[in-house]
Amino acid sequence: MNRVSFSLIRMLLIARNTLLEASRQKLFSFLLLLALGLVGGAQSLREFNFGASELKFLADLGYGAMAFFGAALTIAATAQLFFSEIENRTALTLLAKPVWRAEFMLGKYLGVVAVTAVFCALMTGLLVAVLWSRESALLRAIPDSFTQGRTLRIVDLLLAGYLQWLKLTVLAAFTLLVASFSRTQLFTVVTGFFVLVICHLQYLARDAYAQGGSTFAQVAAGFVGLLFPNFQLFNFADDVGAGIPVAWDRVARVSVYALGYVGAACGLAVFSFRKREI
Amino acid sequence: MSTVASAVPAIELRGLIKDFSVGLRGVKLRAVDDLSLRVPAGQVFGLLGPNGSGKSTTIKIILGLLEPTAGGCRVFGLPSTQIEARVDVGYLPESPYFYRHLSGRELVRFYARICGLGGAKVAPRVAEVIDWVGLTESADRLVGTYSKGMLQRIGLAQALVHDPRLVILDEPTSGVDPVGAAAISELILQLKVQGKTVLITSHLLTQIEEICDRVAILDRGRLILEGAVCDLVGGAERQALIVEKLSPGELQELRGWLGLRGRTLEAVAAPRARLDQIFLERVGRGDAKNPEGGG
Repeated sequence: MNRVSFSLIRMLLIARNTLLEASRQKLFSFLLLLALGLVGGAQSLREFNFGASELKFLADLGYGAMAFFGAALTIAATAQLFFSEIENRTALTLLAKPVWRAEFMLGKYLGVVAVTAVFCALMTGLLVAVLWSRESALLRAIPDSFTQGRTLRIVDLLLAGYLQWLKLTVLAAFTLLVASFSRTQLFTVVTGFFVLVICHLQYLARDAYAQGGSTFAQVAAGFVGLLFPNFQLFNFADDVGAGIPVAWDRVARVSVYALGYVGAACGLAVFSFRKREI
Repeated sequence: MSTVASAVPAIELRGLIKDFSVGLRGVKLRAVDDLSLRVPAGQVFGLLGPNGSGKSTTIKIILGLLEPTAGGCRVFGLPSTQIEARVDVGYLPESPYFYRHLSGRELVRFYARICGLGGAKVAPRVAEVIDWVGLTESADRLVGTYSKGMLQRIGLAQALVHDPRLVILDEPTSGVDPVGAAAISELILQLKVQGKTVLITSHLLTQIEEICDRVAILDRGRLILEGAVCDLVGGAERQALIVEKLSPGELQELRGWLGLRGRTLEAVAAPRARLDQIFLERVGRGDAKNPEGGG
């Protein structure tokens, strides 16, 4: 009998089905509402004319909303789309076919990554439109504040959106890793949020212990710093809002950094799910 | 199929044991206990037993979804733990829940492509199996709107779309009305005619008796009985004659006639029609392919 090797097609079929499930569950309607809320919120802020700093405020608000709602969406979608397969026993039917468990897990992961990509693309596109239109209005109203011309660069705004998405792909990989051994969806969601908090704050602990902690504390903080990615590295919103150009080499380094964590987390998730009894 | 291929049993279990760890202390619960079984190719084989007797666990081991604690399981000669063993297997799970967000046609197409069907072959094959299970008219409706009978039918379609040699049906008539159950029985008999091996579990023993060549009965994970259905239910040495009502005199004459030939009349009873037969006659077995009537 012919050997059944790992199939990219099967993996992409599972990913496509996961994306389709998310879209037909009206998940994208929620995203649209969120985006409209952001536009509405930004419009109401037009009352405050802070000059150039208003644009930074709007950028912070937009990328902050993208980070917050994106993280919530990523954790919830990863847990839901994974456990719906287990609890509804659709995984049973699927894995009874000649499908590698790695194809199943990576397919689910790519499906969630596609959902977050749609979310980030929508939010970034909207944010660029809002910022661009507001900057144009400010240019006309207070040209003295823009002696150097436009401060915002579209490519930088897009790169900041890309990095937010990259962060969510790492978060999805860690959430999938938790789901691979977790028995309940609730545990996965709660642990996913813990991971998010640790990833956002781990640099504080590492810095604090590096300056004056015991050797053990320094080693422990260093270990946590290695185990969990530093999500602060993905935050380019402050620079973008202030009109500071984004360095491409920095983007490339962060991309490789994210890819490393995604590879490790997905690898562990596949390994953990390999023998799971479903 | 070649003679050599036919000689290989579709399923072979040898000393199969499956333990589950229960609770925090990891207490062992034995679900399957030293089970040895051969399912010959081309037969309809019934796996019977009360709830918790280990039927579903055995099926999951055959499908490679669970690993045995001890013993071995082979599907067409290949260890069930190998992914290659699943290439020629179709599976309909108990109380199937399929992707509710897909239409019936999308669902079968998804599984067809997962099983490696591609290109121009997919659409006609999908249409063929959907037609075979009688769901053509409902194929473009979302699976979430299907009745239980329709779910079983679409489940059967996805199990058969890649034309497997072995079809495993776990409680295919669970929750299905008698008309739907009869229709599924007919489909299983057609599978046998096509030369496929069918492993079926069901609590409907009448159905099993009608469609199975062999059965095995499990209890608490152990095999307690296995054999050909005709051998188990008897029949060749005994006969029943059904005649119009006889008067006491005629009955006495018959006893005398039999006595002269060294035979005895063992029982006289008024045969009763089976309720499921009456139901099928009245509700319309002939309409069994109607998807709305299937569930």
